[in-house]
Amino acid sequence: MYTIVVENLTKKFGPFTAVNNISFSIKKGEIFGFLGANGAGKTTAMKMMCGLLLPTSGTAKIAGYDLATQSKLIKKNIGYMSQRFSLYDDLTVYENMQLFGTIYKIERKTLKQRIQDSLNELNMNEFSNELVRSIPLGWKQRLAFATALLHRPQIVFLDEPTSGVDPIVRREFWGLIYKTAATGVTIFVTTHYMDEAEYCERISIMAEGELKLIGTPTELKEKMNVQTIDDLFVKFVNR
Amino acid sequence: MKAFLAILQKEFIHILRDRVSLFLVLAMPIALILLFGFTISTEIKNAKISILDQSKDSQSKQLIENITASGYFQVVNFLDNEAEIDHDFKHKQIKIAMIIPPRFEESLAVERIASIQIINDVSDINIASILNNYLRAVFNDFVTEYNYQNHASENLISIVTTMQYNPELNSVYMFVPGIITLIMIIITALMSSITLAREKETNTMNMMLITTVKKINIAIGKVIPYMFLSLISTIFILLISVFVFQMPIKGSIWLLLFLCIIFMFTAASFGLLISAVSKTQLDAMMVTMMGLFLPTVLLSGFLFPLDNMPLFFQWLADIFPAKWFIIAIKDVMLKGATFMETGKYLLILTGMSVVMVGFSLSQIDKR
Repeated sequence: MYTIVVENLTKKFGPFTAVNNISFSIKKGEIFGFLGANGAGKTTAMKMMCGLLLPTSGTAKIAGYDLATQSKLIKKNIGYMSQRFSLYDDLTVYENMQLFGTIYKIERKTLKQRIQDSLNELNMNEFSNELVRSIPLGWKQRLAFATALLHRPQIVFLDEPTSGVDPIVRREFWGLIYKTAATGVTIFVTTHYMDEAEYCERISIMAEGELKLIGTPTELKEKMNVQTIDDLFVKFVNR
Repeated sequence: MKAFLAILQKEFIHILRDRVSLFLVLAMPIALILLFGFTISTEIKNAKISILDQSKDSQSKQLIENITASGYFQVVNFLDNEAEIDHDFKHKQIKIAMIIPPRFEESLAVERIASIQIINDVSDINIASILNNYLRAVFNDFVTEYNYQNHASENLISIVTTMQYNPELNSVYMFVPGIITLIMIIITALMSSITLAREKETNTMNMMLITTVKKINIAIGKVIPYMFLSLISTIFILLISVFVFQMPIKGSIWLLLFLCIIFMFTAASFGLLISAVSKTQLDAMMVTMMGLFLPTVLLSGFLFPLDNMPLFFQWLADIFPAKWFIIAIKDVMLKGATFMETGKYLLILTGMSVVMVGFSLSQIDKR
């Protein structure tokens, strides 16, 4: 059962084609790595899938809803966390979670319970009333992830979620991702860390707006006759 | 609605926790009004004047005496012919000159109207128009006195005008409406569009847009707290004007506040519009400064009298709401205009507000 079905999605900015006719499908609960060099069109593709940008042509079904006509239902069913940490610095941990939870119209009592649960799970109770500005980056990333999950979305889009944090935090973060995927949430993640690509069930590589490769890490390495994803990436992007 | 309230709450938290900005926003109007009130004075004393008296009769002498006695003028030269006027402007630093034509007394008594010519140095329009007004006030007194003594009622000097509003031309009264206008624009339009652009820069805007909340709610939630702030500032300005500078508010204070609220919506809609078109804080700042702030300062009649502008700029001024707002609150504060009397301006302002708010809301939902 596919939860994301993208067909011939294209985005043009004037004469420039940022995303050129890409198609792929992602299964429910899958961890899907979306790789590509800077400027390859990843962010544009992702923005279209989240309903932030209108595609020039092509269609997509996200969580079973049509991109063109049901964007509100899509928004309800997806979560998003960006490469640049994007919660409010001058709000406390609790206030940030409460804000986003209320925006998604989660009932008050339920929201309170969910916030408490995520804080417990992340061991972040002590930070609850701290301004987000004052907590370490690694914690901020985990907080952003937990916030993106508050409304229990079917799919989470993670845009370079681990950029700028140390290896230990990155590993812990991937622990969270696995845990979440195990509950049936589909993870769509972009990254520049090739070791992280190995953690994904399937990956795709984008270059010049086109989707060049898609498959499991092992499959792709064998097919292209390389030892690591790193080599695969370099080989592909330089071609 | 709950989502909207959550956003509103968040915006208030932003403002309250940013102590420096909050302090600036609240202190700025106070600083401005005190600055304008205490330092900039348009009152002119002992302005140099040259007089060409071609009548030299008892009434013209009386008039000149009145001018000297007013304290506003210092007669530096009594001229013999018109050619000397130019000389005095260039070499005696006179600000204004006056010609009393022949048969002044006779004209007053027989034709019941006497004319007087005033020559202004318009290189400084503000000073010129102030001195002009002083002179007119002196003429007016002179005629009233003359009529009283001669039991006449209809004698006139042809340039006589009345100066019943702000007869001392006390400058702070003139600046209060302008300062209120600027504060409204700075706080409501500039601050809200800058903070919205900041969210675009820090990416929190994307985070918001990805949620189910409507764009319009994000934008309106952004503007409302600043509308509150600007209203508070306006009240500060009025309090200081009344209690520090003894400015009379002759009309209804409620009407005044009502006008301010209507203008606040206009300013807020500018804020929304600027937010819709600007991607960075710098954009927002430049657009507000060039597109809104400068025209307001230059074309609202706040610092520079509109009457003296070329026709094109007078037309241009007509399409900026600031002009109408300033006229309306001046009328209410200084002349005690009633709701009905300000009706025309209220209508214009409301119309402009509705159009602006509608237009900017329509711009926001574009991707």
